[in-house]
Amino acid sequence: MTKLGVFDLAVRYGKVPAVNTLTLHIAEGERVFVSGPNGAGKSSLLKAISGVVATSHGRIEMDGDLLTGLAPETIARLGLSMVPEGRDIFGSLTVEENLRVGTGLRRDAEAVNADIDDIYNSFPILRDRRTATAGALSGGQQQMLAIGRALMTNPKLILVDEPSLGLAPKIVDQVYDTLCALQEDRGLTLLIVEQSSLRAARVGGRMVLMRGGRITSEGNAADMVDREALTEAYFGTSNTHMEGTT
Amino acid sequence: MTNLAQLFFDAASLGGLYAMAALGIALIFGVMKLVNFAHGEYIAFCVFALIVPSTDAVAVMFLGHAPALILIPLMLTIGGTIAVASEYAVFRHLRRADPVAMMIASFALGFVIRNALLAAYGGRPKAISLWPGLTTPIDVAGASVPLLQLIVIVTTLFVVTGLALLLKKTRIGLEMRAAAENFTMARLLGVRANRVITGAFALSGALAAAVALIMVTQTGVADVRMGGQIMLVAFIATVLGGLGSLPGAVAAGFLVGIVSVVLQAWLPLETRPFRDAFLYTLVIVCLLVRPQGLFVPTSAKPRV
Repeated sequence: MTKLGVFDLAVRYGKVPAVNTLTLHIAEGERVFVSGPNGAGKSSLLKAISGVVATSHGRIEMDGDLLTGLAPETIARLGLSMVPEGRDIFGSLTVEENLRVGTGLRRDAEAVNADIDDIYNSFPILRDRRTATAGALSGGQQQMLAIGRALMTNPKLILVDEPSLGLAPKIVDQVYDTLCALQEDRGLTLLIVEQSSLRAARVGGRMVLMRGGRITSEGNAADMVDREALTEAYFGTSNTHMEGTT
Repeated sequence: MTNLAQLFFDAASLGGLYAMAALGIALIFGVMKLVNFAHGEYIAFCVFALIVPSTDAVAVMFLGHAPALILIPLMLTIGGTIAVASEYAVFRHLRRADPVAMMIASFALGFVIRNALLAAYGGRPKAISLWPGLTTPIDVAGASVPLLQLIVIVTTLFVVTGLALLLKKTRIGLEMRAAAENFTMARLLGVRANRVITGAFALSGALAAAVALIMVTQTGVADVRMGGQIMLVAFIATVLGGLGSLPGAVAAGFLVGIVSVVLQAWLPLETRPFRDAFLYTLVIVCLLVRPQGLFVPTSAKPRV
């Protein structure tokens, strides 16, 4: 069953096109990586889906409902959550307050508390620091908080923009392990922007390669990385960025 | 000693008034990045709501007849209502406009309210006697203090504590703080933009009404221009405190009030008419040294 459908999408900033005639279908429970060079339109795609930027053409559907034109808070209430690039945690709020911001749409106080407990179990460091100001957390802890916070709206689909940005590889491993475990537990659908195709291959899932606002190729992440390595071996260059580049 | 006590009460009550006005501006700036220059006109509007609209020289009480227990909530509601109404009529349509456009719109709105008041009430200041009993001085710590000053000080403490509790302990408070820091992110988490902004305007308008009640009792005058003067001071206080910082606005409001009273008392007699020049020179010096404001929130990002 299709969880998210993007049909012939275009996003423009003024006259500059960021996303162009993009069509993408994501099945329920699927894990999809979007990769590609800077300026390929990856973040713009995520922002369009979550309602932060307006679309200039095309439509976006979740569970068959039209998302296009809805306000971000309405889309969030339909069960879509976002972990934005740079994490955007609320630095002046405490860790626990950060988690509670997203619970305004829920009436079940018990379940909210249970969810917070759940997130603390996934990220024990957040429990230790629950009364600390979130701005004082390290980059990795902030990323964990951003993921935990996104879960608090009780979403079915989560968009994650560059979770590995600025983090040590060991922390990135931990972030992905947790994301995958959470996906398993809760039956989530994940759409992740990830610069490193190697990382995507290691985590596993479908990979979509973007360039100039369009999808240039897609397939199983591991197969695509092999193909990429082959291209590199023969031609000495690669279309995509390998691990370590930004 | 007497002088010092007197000075303390003068400074604390004037500072409290400025702090409340500054809070009204900082609240809206926090969630919307809007410096609402119509805030002073909300204050004037509330003052004039006390009397019967007419261009006669003598003011006839209208809402002002009501007993305090009814009048105070009524005035707070009126202040909140005009602020929320102006959000619906003007600012809601400019959500995606840049902050400068919103600021200019707030000037325009201020002119509209002021001229409407001029048309309905005439341009001459009118004497109003609201709660005259409150200005009779009583003896506190050797100083002769009008009861009103004590009430202003207590009210300010009450308002500031109440607001702090509201922001810290309630759902809407949490949403306001999150929205003040990163509105887009808050919305991505399902926080309703309209609810938060309407809440901020309602609180801001209620604060304007509180300021109006205090000013009119203190001065005994209804003047269309009275909002503009306090708006200027309050705006300076919010900038000085660090735009967007609520504790900063309160602290800087008090600071400006205190410095103003101290200058008035201690400047040599012949330089006193230039008190405000000294005051604003100090403000300029402060901003040169700390352009980001004196009490900046840890999360402050430069946006304007």
